[in-house]
Amino acid sequence: MRRIRGTDQQKNVCYSVQGIGVAEMAVQSDVIDDAGPYDRAKALSAFKLGDVTFYWITRLSAISVLLILGGIIISLIVGAFPAMKEFGVSFLWTQRWAPSADPPVLGALGPMYGTLVTSFIAMLIAIPVGLGIAIFLTELCPQWLRRPIGMAIELLAGIPSIIYGMWGFFVLGPFLANTFQPFMIKIFDGVPVLGAIFAGPPSYLSLFNAALILAIMVLPFITSISVDVFKTVPPVLKEAAYGVGCTTWEVVRSVVIPYTRVGVIGGVMLALGRALGETMAVTFIIGNSFRISSSIFAPGTTISAAIASEFAESDGLHQSGLILLGLLLFVLTFFVLAAARLMLMRLEKKAGN
Amino acid sequence: MSDLSVSMSAAGGLPHAPVLPEAPPKVTVRNLNFYYGEHHALKNINLTLGANRVTAFIGPSGCGKSTLLRIFNRMYDLYPGQRATGQLMLDQTNILDGKLDLNLLRARVGMVFQKPTPFPMTIYENIAFGIRLYEKISKSEMDGRVEKALRGGALWNEVKDKLNASGLSLSGGQQQRLCIARTVAVRPEVILFDEPCSALDPISTAKVEELIQELSEDYTIAIVTHNMQQAARVSDKTAFMYLGELIEFDDTSKIFTSPTDRRTQDYITGRFG
Repeated sequence: MRRIRGTDQQKNVCYSVQGIGVAEMAVQSDVIDDAGPYDRAKALSAFKLGDVTFYWITRLSAISVLLILGGIIISLIVGAFPAMKEFGVSFLWTQRWAPSADPPVLGALGPMYGTLVTSFIAMLIAIPVGLGIAIFLTELCPQWLRRPIGMAIELLAGIPSIIYGMWGFFVLGPFLANTFQPFMIKIFDGVPVLGAIFAGPPSYLSLFNAALILAIMVLPFITSISVDVFKTVPPVLKEAAYGVGCTTWEVVRSVVIPYTRVGVIGGVMLALGRALGETMAVTFIIGNSFRISSSIFAPGTTISAAIASEFAESDGLHQSGLILLGLLLFVLTFFVLAAARLMLMRLEKKAGN
Repeated sequence: MSDLSVSMSAAGGLPHAPVLPEAPPKVTVRNLNFYYGEHHALKNINLTLGANRVTAFIGPSGCGKSTLLRIFNRMYDLYPGQRATGQLMLDQTNILDGKLDLNLLRARVGMVFQKPTPFPMTIYENIAFGIRLYEKISKSEMDGRVEKALRGGALWNEVKDKLNASGLSLSGGQQQRLCIARTVAVRPEVILFDEPCSALDPISTAKVEELIQELSEDYTIAIVTHNMQQAARVSDKTAFMYLGELIEFDDTSKIFTSPTDRRTQDYITGRFG
């Protein structure tokens, strides 16, 4: 039966090929469709529905980011409005923080200074050390040592910040106050600028201690991202550099780091973002002093530490002032990251891209 | 036999030049063995690279020709577990000597790789970088050296107006010539080419081949290639390798017209490989 139909169809095809008529060809194609195992148009429309659903789900996910970000900014502004109205722009350069005075005086200079200084010192320590670890791991480390160090870095990233805070408070702070700080104070005693930066008395709670903890906390970010991007350098490019006679250091400096510049700076920015906003560990060991001192061994505060330690018992204008501090941190982080990106663009230009 | 004649006509006729007189040896390989860990990759290799001659290494994939090339500048040293035994003399220096200064060796023996490998810096810096490793010279002197190297790489006319553009902005063929110029800039004695044209289009390939011919006036050249026509076109001597052994090493014209070993003949006529 089937065979007979088959020959029939073949015959039809022959006719149409001979050019008997378009109509007949259409009939012919109908016949073939009916014989097909499934309805193609129906299947396609099912796919289409899937596509549309998929498109909208992803689109809504993306839009939700904008909505959340906008919502946070608006609620920060609304919450900070009373303080903005009361203190105006002078909030930015007032050092005094006296919420219970009459009338209350609130200024953000101390926390802003503390935030920038601790982050700056933290990056000053963490960038060379982090890059150093990454270079050692990818270029120099014997195979058997690679995994232990790599895992230690991952574990360092997994320690909750409250534990860093406690460790800083009970171990690192006293240790630094008894050894490192007196040493530095003695060395730089009487030296112009540096004498003021490393001035005494030593303290368990200080900007420097907080910065050191921050450095340890952001180290894994810098290291693990750098290791990942260093691994993307094609081996043949490194061989080419060794091939003109470079030493390992020259290969790293002139080929590996320039090649991975964007990735490394990305890692550094991520670390900087974390250092600027880190709260718990810093609150433990920074001393919560709103006074600005030239010495990095003196207590200070950061924006997030100030909010964390005062928010629970604040109300009214005081609370609004803290929210305004939060808004400032938001803006500060934005500007620091924007500046980093700008620097990256200028570097690219210099490299001739 | 018909196979042979077909492949020869595809190769563009006879090799490029009449047989040159025997050159004094620049590199001498004696009883060279090489191991990747346990794997014995090169077995008892003996040959010489004549000074100012082009020596081609051909053979099927995995025959050890690239491995051999990477011994000439001790590139294998970068990787643990790889070792060579025997003797490999560059003039009077044994390259395999453990106490040898590798940076200086690599200044004497330059290498051009399969894929173009411009460094992530400007065209000018790509050249100046290598020179600066060995010499401290003034800016004007450096300009002269960079120009000379780029002319040596047959690239000067194409890039002289954009020396500050990134090396990565060039086309593949230009990048490869930049790498050759970079290699020439440090004034090596030997230049190794590891399949330098396998990533290039035919026109770029022709340019690079022409360049190799010119360079042989001043340098001793070793080239690994998968392309037998290329070996026939550019080289004076050809070495056929198979499974880690040097099967046949002779004048290029001899290898491509009347090889003595059956395996060489099978390979160049395309019966395997």
